[in-house]
Amino acid sequence: MAYYDNWIERLGLRDWCDANSQGGPMSMADLLKKSKGDKAGESDASILDTPFPSLDELNSACPAIPKTRVFTDAVENSFLSIKDPLKTILDPITQPLSWALDGSMWLFQAVPWFIVVPLFLLVVFWATRSMALVVFVGVSFLFMAFIDHYVPAIQTLSIIFVCTSFSVALGVPIGILMSRSDAMQRIVVPILDMLQTLPTFVYLIPLIFLFSVTESKLYGIAIILYAVVPVIRLTDLGIRLVDKEVLEAAHAFGMTDRQKLVNVQLPLALPNIMAGVNQTIMMSLAMVVIASLVSAPGLGVLVLRGIRNLELGVGLVAGLGIVLLAVLLDRVTKTALARVNAAQKH
Amino acid sequence: MRKLMIGAALAALMTPGLAAADDCGEVTITEMNWASSAIITNIAKFLMEEGYGCSVVSVPSSTTPSLVSVAETGKPDIVTELWINGAPSYQELQDAGKIMTAADVLADGGREGWWVPQYMVDAHPELATIEGVKANVDLLGGRFHNCPDGWACKNTNADLARNFGLVDAGFEIFLHGSGETLATSIASAYANEEPWIGYYWSPDPLMAKYKMVEVDLGVPYDHEVFTCAAKSDCSAEGVSSWPIGPVKTVVTTDFADRAPEIAELMSNMSFKNADVLSFLDWMENNGATYEETAVHFLTTRQDLWSEWINDSAKENLAALLP
Repeated sequence: MAYYDNWIERLGLRDWCDANSQGGPMSMADLLKKSKGDKAGESDASILDTPFPSLDELNSACPAIPKTRVFTDAVENSFLSIKDPLKTILDPITQPLSWALDGSMWLFQAVPWFIVVPLFLLVVFWATRSMALVVFVGVSFLFMAFIDHYVPAIQTLSIIFVCTSFSVALGVPIGILMSRSDAMQRIVVPILDMLQTLPTFVYLIPLIFLFSVTESKLYGIAIILYAVVPVIRLTDLGIRLVDKEVLEAAHAFGMTDRQKLVNVQLPLALPNIMAGVNQTIMMSLAMVVIASLVSAPGLGVLVLRGIRNLELGVGLVAGLGIVLLAVLLDRVTKTALARVNAAQKH
Repeated sequence: MRKLMIGAALAALMTPGLAAADDCGEVTITEMNWASSAIITNIAKFLMEEGYGCSVVSVPSSTTPSLVSVAETGKPDIVTELWINGAPSYQELQDAGKIMTAADVLADGGREGWWVPQYMVDAHPELATIEGVKANVDLLGGRFHNCPDGWACKNTNADLARNFGLVDAGFEIFLHGSGETLATSIASAYANEEPWIGYYWSPDPLMAKYKMVEVDLGVPYDHEVFTCAAKSDCSAEGVSSWPIGPVKTVVTTDFADRAPEIAELMSNMSFKNADVLSFLDWMENNGATYEETAVHFLTTRQDLWSEWINDSAKENLAALLP
């Protein structure tokens, strides 16, 4: 005896309800009713127990009203129906990402450690000119290699390297477009908000349907979608913050829009853009564990193994490895950023 | 207002007592995070509540956590659909007398192994044997779908694939990130009729929906090789088939003493794989929930469950029995 039966009767909808009844699967409540005879249904329901007239509740009184499941099924089916055309377009466009991820993964692992590590240290020195940081990065790396986490760490770095490059290559132009047009900004900001708040597995599910799970672009896209947001936001912000008077001066010198952008706005916005890149790196690192669920290699795999088997040590050590990488990347980009800022002041 | 609430609370406390014909008390039972277990738990819950007058709480769990909980706290009372091949602590708990095995809940056991889609075997019957698989690397897409890291089968597959010569034949052993992507890879291969070969298990809703053929490995089960292959710190030399995985219902010894008739019910509850696959198939086709599938089983297979319950329960459930 469903709660809204009386209402259906009173509204005279009984015939319509039963006529269109599709006789879906029997629910547990129906079975209980059947097993106890009709006694159970006649218990005096208190008004406090009134259920909200949701689709499922109404369905139990009137089978012609669709259940909530019909609604979610419709969402699923509409996605499945556009899946094939979407796949035809997206598959070739995203293919370079797969190549980049596979190529970089191969390269990082093919080059022996005694070349990779000094190379890293050189890059760090070139970017930061800080011996203290070089020593810190060197010690961190040697420590991870020492506890046999060199390969996963280098895989994680390789993924972050590729994904951050793609994020910057995509994010900076989008940010520039946004800064030039208010209409564009109004369209893009809600999308960015959605990308940042949508639980990650929600957009991984459609991705799994679109691309083969064995391709590396699957996790690449997942990481980029999540990590591209700060670089777009901060590029937009940085350019919008450039002093109007400076732009007027540039205008007075007869600069074209393009010259203004390349020679004035972008250099002045650089500290903000760099801060965006720093955030993008951090966010792609945060995604590495989740991306492991869709077959991304690296430290995330070890964290997942720790969680699955309750191997506390494995999970903790790999987790700390990720933290170490984060600190290391953060310090290096921040110091490089500080150098850019200092250079601009002169 | 306060009076009203206390009244409501009392009523809520009383209701199960009133509904209960006999006094069976409170029972906790696990509901594992996969379909067949959830359905079996719902069936057991209904029989216990309506037939024996228990008040049943089902606890969402999975293999390792449920056994850890039993070992540490003595709860839940019943763990059903326990794949003991993946649960090393089962034997320890059994030896320590904390749990007792009520039944093989899946009468034929769980079948693990290497599978290829039915449509591929239809076109190329030789793919159902390991020799045929090795000779047709290109036909099968050259990729073997292995379990994610952290599952025991990942080690087993890696060792056996090497020893059976799959690696030498040119198969890439692809490590999935999670069970979800392993399952999706079968679904998407089926949608496009693409080649697929890899590890899976039955009964499972996926196996009910997509017809797969188990690859005949051509050798018997070798306990020594297999246990070594399953361990991460041991690399097996020989080859072995997959054993039939025993899938048990266990009850805590305390509970068996407290509620012998429920323990007896649990020891009677056993499903043939064909029955499990058929209700999983029904669930997929009707887009039903676990609970509705349990109801479907209860309303259509009285022949099975009427044999599990005792006479007083039969009386209580008479309305449902033909």
